[in-house]
Amino acid sequence: MKDKTRIEDIGKKGQMVKLREEDLMELPYPYNQPDMEPKFTEPKDEWRERYVTDLDGYIAINIPVKRPETKEEEERMVRRFLEGFKRLLTKNDHWTFLQPLLLTLEYCAKCQACADACPIYLASGKKEIYRPTYRVEVLRRIYKKYIKGKSDFVSGKIDLNWDTLAKLAEVSWRCTLCRRCEQRCPIGINNGLITREIRLLFAQEMGFANKEVHELGTVQHLKVGSSTALTPDGFKDIVEFMEEEIEEKTGKKIKIPVDEKGADFLLIHNAGEYLSWPENPAAFAILFEEAGISYTLSSELVGYDGVNYGVWYDDMQLARIALKHTEAARKLDCNSIVVGECGHAHKAIAVIADRVVADETNVYRQSCMPILWDIVKKKKINFDPEKNDFPVTLHDPCNMVRLMGVVEPQRKVLRALCPQFREMSPNGVYNYCCGGGSGFAIMQSMNFPEWRNKVSTRMKLKQTMDAFKDCIDPSINKMLCAPCSNCKGAIRDMFSYYQVPQKTSTYYTGLVEFMVNAMVDLEEPYIEWEFH
Amino acid sequence: MVVSLLQLSSYVAFAIFIVAVLAKWRQWSSMPIHLRWELYPVPHEPEHEHGGSYFEEFNFWEKHREKNHLNEMKELFTELLFIKRVFDFKRQFWFTTYPFHLGIYLILAWFALLFVGGLTQAYTGIAIPSAHPWAQLIYYLTLLTGSLGIILGTLGCIGVLLYRLSEEDMRKYSAGLDYFNLIFILVVYVLGAISWLSFDRTFTTAQAYMTAMVSFSSAIPQLNNIILAHVILLELLWIYIPFTKMSHFVGKYFTYHKVLWEDEPNLRGSEVEKKVREVLGYKVTWQAPHFTAGRTWAEEATKPSKVDVIERWEP
Repeated sequence: MKDKTRIEDIGKKGQMVKLREEDLMELPYPYNQPDMEPKFTEPKDEWRERYVTDLDGYIAINIPVKRPETKEEEERMVRRFLEGFKRLLTKNDHWTFLQPLLLTLEYCAKCQACADACPIYLASGKKEIYRPTYRVEVLRRIYKKYIKGKSDFVSGKIDLNWDTLAKLAEVSWRCTLCRRCEQRCPIGINNGLITREIRLLFAQEMGFANKEVHELGTVQHLKVGSSTALTPDGFKDIVEFMEEEIEEKTGKKIKIPVDEKGADFLLIHNAGEYLSWPENPAAFAILFEEAGISYTLSSELVGYDGVNYGVWYDDMQLARIALKHTEAARKLDCNSIVVGECGHAHKAIAVIADRVVADETNVYRQSCMPILWDIVKKKKINFDPEKNDFPVTLHDPCNMVRLMGVVEPQRKVLRALCPQFREMSPNGVYNYCCGGGSGFAIMQSMNFPEWRNKVSTRMKLKQTMDAFKDCIDPSINKMLCAPCSNCKGAIRDMFSYYQVPQKTSTYYTGLVEFMVNAMVDLEEPYIEWEFH
Repeated sequence: MVVSLLQLSSYVAFAIFIVAVLAKWRQWSSMPIHLRWELYPVPHEPEHEHGGSYFEEFNFWEKHREKNHLNEMKELFTELLFIKRVFDFKRQFWFTTYPFHLGIYLILAWFALLFVGGLTQAYTGIAIPSAHPWAQLIYYLTLLTGSLGIILGTLGCIGVLLYRLSEEDMRKYSAGLDYFNLIFILVVYVLGAISWLSFDRTFTTAQAYMTAMVSFSSAIPQLNNIILAHVILLELLWIYIPFTKMSHFVGKYFTYHKVLWEDEPNLRGSEVEKKVREVLGYKVTWQAPHFTAGRTWAEEATKPSKVDVIERWEP
């Protein structure tokens, strides 16, 4: 059924959209069979009281809300928002994205060529509020009417009131910032950026965002050292644990370098790897040791956690964390920083934060992917691809491919080491997001995970099943390679929600695990066929 | 007297158009450097075929950086001349918007040919039309571009207008001004078409008008009311366009070259680093609790910051 929601409906009272099973994008076999996926649930009444559920019934902004009770209170909230919006339009406060912001507000032709690029819009059954241009058009109309003072005839209808503010804040957390829509724009404007700009306005002016991203994310990262709450001492303990694990699993006695001055580069992993998938940083340690590569990890505060959630919502938090990363490298006299398997950490430090470093903070930053391919290409380690003789497909993290241009090294590794490697479609720079981008993978409160699993990650489930359709039988073990911690987080939850390992014997892991698994001198397989 | 005023108004309209477009260009080009927001494939990257960048090279800063400018131009002109992305991703709409835009390009070419023809007549003494090969070339090209431009532009404009009105996805997102702009253009086209078909099929009057313009002569041909209305509305359109989103022909350069394809690395000692140093000196006034009043970006990003967080969103 065609969604009749209009732009100006955002300012009306009541829930805008109710998601329905029958509208969702159909999934391939076996998920097109009856009762193969859990149903939508209703938000609890207490959630409706305390949070904003009027967008689609789901909650991303998980700090309590006190609704305005008088007209004056409502006007005060609107005024605060507009003051922030004006700051967004000044070069002092917002040089960071002023030009792309204004170009996007100015020039959209509203042709909607971008709409069908969006996996969330498609997966939801084309719900209007998820259309890439929806939130952008709301902001554009506010800009024209309330900042530039134009009439409805010029701006289009919009009312800036509490409902608009509340739903605008919420709808800015229904886009993964994958920027697939931007590839299709004939004018070249940036819908994904506007999503981030709305988040940024609320964060930098009013001080809130999703709690896991801001308070438990960047704030905790800067204070404790990691968004996982891992402390420097805890990090050192984990490194010791990894050394023991490596020895137990491979028989190799490896001393993982930590705080070694003068190494060629500082390797920074997403700290989530140490806690959830320690086999990934351990695999890096094995490969780099075997290949004789000079590197070090850092135990400096922030320096051992490569994530940078600022990239999703706040320029200052982004800059603070990025500068802590470069400082950690500087203290160890490293020539550069190499980012492990984490897509947003790649983009944050190598691309976005490239314009917040200067002089002594300008330590060069790069991806781990070329080094990994170099190890295979130059035969620095003996590999036997037959050890990886099972179906493998690759999920491309958007941040690594579309937003950074690191596309080939990782698939060259897979082509060389995995005889049954097959691409999913589309792939590379035209891939679909895992559905966990822009913070979604770590947003676990209340009913948001349900929305993520049913809507946001739906396309990735479809792509994965399609890639393995010739071997979907559960008697055949299959592996999805996701060289990114956040993607793995989203995929882990999606696999659990849909019981993918149980129903199809499809598992997921990072890239380096395939490399270690293929090492000739390893007696036991490194990849374990278990879901965690 | 009316005709002289008309001539003057044509000069003024054209001058305003040029000045306003240049001002627009200056406005976009004088903006401060921004954080990188490129999107791959970036066509000047040598590995653009698969969407690759220099980040695919280990220690990329040690390597000589190559840029494929030819491919960038190819991509630019493919988009500009054929509106490729609309063709690829919104095919039905392309069948209206492409003739519309092609019509505009042809009319611009027609203007340029009238201009060249005007110069030819005014300063070489070669009459257009005449048996002179150059005059023949200009004459027939003018005829071709003008006729095709009017036909395609008028039909395309009607098509775009109807499409915007009939397709719900576009209609919901369109404001009154979007329709006004299209109707304005359509009126100019329709008056132009009537003038052409009824009074000036070989563009002789148009050529004579342009000749008078380039020679600053008052020997302007007599214009009937239809042609007069067409010229006046066309002048108003020229004045109006740079102040609307129809100036996206300017913006499009910046959206691509300064945002989507802008991947210049911040190498030590580079011009980029110099600009970054400058913007990091800007003072910040954001009001959230994790900001401190009076600091510059560099200070705010490096000095110890408050870690207060908002417990509740309230009035």
